[in-house]
Formats: sequence, C-alpha cells, structure tokens
Amino acid sequence: MSKYLARRLGQSLLTVFLTISTVFVLVRLAPGDPASAYAGPTATSDDLARIREQFGLDKPLISQYGIFLRDLLTGDLGTSYSFHSSALDVVLDRMPYTITLSVAAIAVTVAVAVPLGVWMARRADTSRELGANVLTIAGQSMPDFWTGVMLLTVFAVLLPVLPASGFTSWSGLILPTVTIAVLQLALISRLVRREMTTALASPYITVARSRGVSERALTWRYALANSAVPLVTAVGTRFAALLNGVVVVEVVFGWPGVGSLVVRALETRDYPLIQATVLVTATLAILVQLLVDLAYPLLDPRVRLGKAA
Amino acid sequence: MTTTVADPARPERPSAVTTRQLARSTAARQRRSARIKLWAGAVCTALVALPVALASLLPLPDPNAQDLSRRRLAPFTDGHLFGTDQLGRDLLSRLLHGGQVSLSVGILAVIVSGLIGIAAGSTAGYFGGWVDAVVSRFLEAQLALPLLMMLLLVVALFGPSVTVITCVIAVAQWPEVARLTRSLVLVEREKPYVAAARLLGMRSWSVLARHIVPNIVRPASLVILLLLAQAVLLESALSFLGAGPQRPFATWGRIISDGQDYITTSWWLVTLPGLVIALLVVGVNLLGDGLRDRVRTTKPTKLAKGA
Repeated sequence: MSKYLARRLGQSLLTVFLTISTVFVLVRLAPGDPASAYAGPTATSDDLARIREQFGLDKPLISQYGIFLRDLLTGDLGTSYSFHSSALDVVLDRMPYTITLSVAAIAVTVAVAVPLGVWMARRADTSRELGANVLTIAGQSMPDFWTGVMLLTVFAVLLPVLPASGFTSWSGLILPTVTIAVLQLALISRLVRREMTTALASPYITVARSRGVSERALTWRYALANSAVPLVTAVGTRFAALLNGVVVVEVVFGWPGVGSLVVRALETRDYPLIQATVLVTATLAILVQLLVDLAYPLLDPRVRLGKAA
Repeated sequence: MTTTVADPARPERPSAVTTRQLARSTAARQRRSARIKLWAGAVCTALVALPVALASLLPLPDPNAQDLSRRRLAPFTDGHLFGTDQLGRDLLSRLLHGGQVSLSVGILAVIVSGLIGIAAGSTAGYFGGWVDAVVSRFLEAQLALPLLMMLLLVVALFGPSVTVITCVIAVAQWPEVARLTRSLVLVEREKPYVAAARLLGMRSWSVLARHIVPNIVRPASLVILLLLAQAVLLESALSFLGAGPQRPFATWGRIISDGQDYITTSWWLVTLPGLVIALLVVGVNLLGDGLRDRVRTTKPTKLAKGA
C-alpha cells in the first residue's frame, strides 16, 4: 500500500514537473516580448532593457530555468507582471471559485446522470430510451459557450430571474453549472446504462430476485453498487476535461475563477502568471486522479491497491 | 441489415417463434436503434456538410462584402436567408464559408491525430517494455491535464494560423486513438498469423506495419467520427476565445463571439451559428455512435472493450 502510494506520488510529481517545464520552454520559445507588452507602445529601448533586467529576462534561457526551478522549490512562482504581486497568490485567490463551479457541475451531472442511466438500462433498446439517448447526445454536441450565451439570454435578459455574470450570490452558480452539466451528461449516463445493463443480467441478480428481493432494491442496492467503481473512475478521468469546459464557461459568465484569469494572462503575456495557473490546475487535476485511485478499495472491498496493476 | 429473418409470405414456419417476436427481440431492437441513429446522423450531417462543401457554387453574396446600410437585417429579409450581421454581411454566406475552414481544420486534425495515434499506439502495444512505458506515461499525463489552457497558450504564442490550430487539435486528440490502437494490438499480436510471420523470418517492423496494422485500422477508425465531432467543437471553442483562424474567413466560434454583443437586439447572430454547429456535431456523433453500436452487435467480443 505505502509502496503503491509512493510510486503513484512519484509519477504524479514527474507529470507536474514535465508539464511546468514544457510550459516554461513553450512560453519563451514563442515570438512576442513580455517587456514590450508590459511597457506599452511608448516605451524606449532603454525602458525595455530595464524591464527585461528587472524580470530576469536578459539572462540565458538555461539560467532562467535554473532560477525558476530554485524558486519553485521554495514555493515562489515569481511576481505577476500585471498584478504586481505573487503569481501563486493571484491564482490561489481565484481557485476557490473554480473549485466551487467544478464541484457543483460534477454534483449536478452525477445527480441527473445516475438516475437517467438506471432508467435507460431498465428500458434498454425501447423507443423512449433511444429518445433519451439522442437528447443527451444533442446536449453533448452543443458548443458549451453557445449553450452558456443562450441560457444567459433566456434566463438573465429576457426573463431576468438569475444574475447575468460574476459571483454576486449563490444563484449566480446556477447557469454556469447547468451549462457544464449539459455537456457532461451524455458520457456519464451512457456509462451508468452500460454498467447497469451488464449488472442486471448477471446471475447474482437472478439469485437475489428468486429470493424475493424487490425490484427497487435490486436496481439501486445490488446492481448500482457494482457500477460505483467505473463511475468514480469516469468522474476522475473526466475531471481534466471538465476543467477545460470550466475555462470557457468562466469567460462566458464572467466567473472570477482561474479560467478567465488565464485567458487574460495570455493576452498580456504574463509569464509567471501563466506558469502558476498551469502548475496549480495541473496539480489539482492530478491530485483528483490520485484520490480517485485511492478510493477504489473503499468502494469495492475486492480491490487491493498495487496488486492488480 | 434487414430485420426480417424469415419470409413473412411463407405460411409455414418450422419454429414456434413468430416474426413478430423476432422483431421484438433484443438483437432486433438494438439493430433498429443503430439504424435509426445512422440515418438521423447522416441526414443531420448532410444538411450542414453539403451546403458547406458547395458554398462557392451556391448563389450567395460574398461573405466579406459589407453593406453598412443593411446592418443586422432579420432572417428572410431582402433575400438574406439567415439575415445580415453587424457590418451588413450575409450571415448564411459567412457561416458556409467559415464552415469550410472549421470542417477542414477538423478533418485534417483527425487525420493527423489518427496517424500519430496509430503509430504510437501500435508501437507501444507490439514492442511493449520501455517503449510501452514511455508512451503510456505520456498518454496518462496528457489525459490527466486540463489541456485547453495549454492549447490556448500555444495558439496565443504561435499565432492563430490554420496550421497551428490543426496541430494543436491533433495533439489534443492523439491519446484517444493511441489508447485504442494499443489495446487492439495487444490482442492481435498473440494471434497465430503473427507467429507465422515471425517464423518466416520477417523483421518485427514489417510484421507490425504489413500484417498487424492493416488488421486494426478498421476497428480503430471507428472512433474517427467521434473525434471529428470533438475536433469541430474544440476549434469553435478556441475561436470563440479569440484563438481561431481569421483568414480567409472567420470560423463559427468567432462569428458567435462577435455576435454576442448584439444578442438582445439581433438574436439570429448567435442563435443560428450555434444551431448550425450543434446540427453538424449531433449528426457526426450519431453517425459515430450508430456505427459503433452496429459493430458491437455483430462482433460483441472484439470491440466492446476498446470503444
């Protein structure tokens, strides 16, 4: 167990390290100069040279990388060019908003997709099931930013019942959450349907039924319990994809999270801020994945970590 | 694909099972679902893809011709089927010409990611060992990362040209193909014909390229339609965020983000482009889904795992 944990932690750290190094190189390989973006069009070449020196951009790439790694170990990700404060702090300030939105979106998706998938499995291959299937596919096929804009127009402009943007009250969470959930619904409900169809046809269900267990208990307690591991796996592996959706939706709804922050940081070529955002979100996504893996033995007592894989 | 197993005109059947019962069996119903999905998907896809492909042949105004006196005309006025935009350009013409860019980016990206994915996946599956370890680590790492930020970063840094965006989408999608190919090759390499080819003294590379890969291309290509749907959505999301191609024509995401400011007065500027994207992507998704279902009902053992 502890050996398994150590190996997984090592792999996760390696992934984060490779990601952040890729971003570091990518940002600096690209054309475009943060100093001129920072100083504006009126800056003289002396100004630019001074700014480069101040940000350490005049040093060779390899020593910039060395300094970056040294600072990284002490938790210092540099100072944001546009916020003039610690890049890590800027990102961490925004993080709760992104996490709130992601958790709400996952919760709503699972709360709708699980009953829907169970229903679809019980009515497998009927016209109504096909209809529900096509509807979820339609939800998956709508561009998330478009769904967001349409929901905004209907529920915040035409019928002003919900706030249009930002985080003013908890009701501001509704529209962004729905937008993301519509996109994720198809995948999770299809998964639940597949697992449930297999489970409902297995011998242990027939045995339980012959012992007089009610259909309701068969479905929800017997069959669904066996779908928990694939379901949690899917939620875990989809978390990174979910964060992608969160970036777009944050921009549409003016949500003050990391997604809208990174779009702004890219426009101003704020290197430290870009690096900090990628580092924090990558760490979050990988951490979620790790937690999901560690949760398997709790969901299914037959699983022993480190033995199977 | 016909569901009637027995000829209904023949009065005597050797079995007590009626045609009616056969038509209601699970297999028949599954085939019917798959067929409906295929048809609906083909119709939706054709509704968008054909006009897009024929855009330059259709009698449409120039997509970039501005006419400031005819700004934001509602649909169906003055021969503008979809109305005009904030600069008096014909929306339908813009959508179809922009669609050419969106669709070709999507198709190119899927081809590139398919090639990378099949190469990496089959190498990893066939040779195993450290090659497999490296490829699999890459796959896992990429699937675990919120990629859109990285993609935005690359586009923002290297400029929103069609080439850059195609590569970016291809890089985002190759893990799906590679994972599927790898699992297919793992099954395939244990088969007798591979052992025979080895016994004949063929080199590993030619066994892989000339015997194994041709056998897995067909099942692996099943994901292509689903990937194409994702590629179109990804391209539109990138161009919505301002990281899409702008020459020669603005693509769908950009048209929507431009129209956003006029949503309260001119609903069609956002609604219609979104419906066009959704129709195309629904069509492609249904086609891909139907195809997968059909293969699964005919050959249940081989593909159920990978897809």
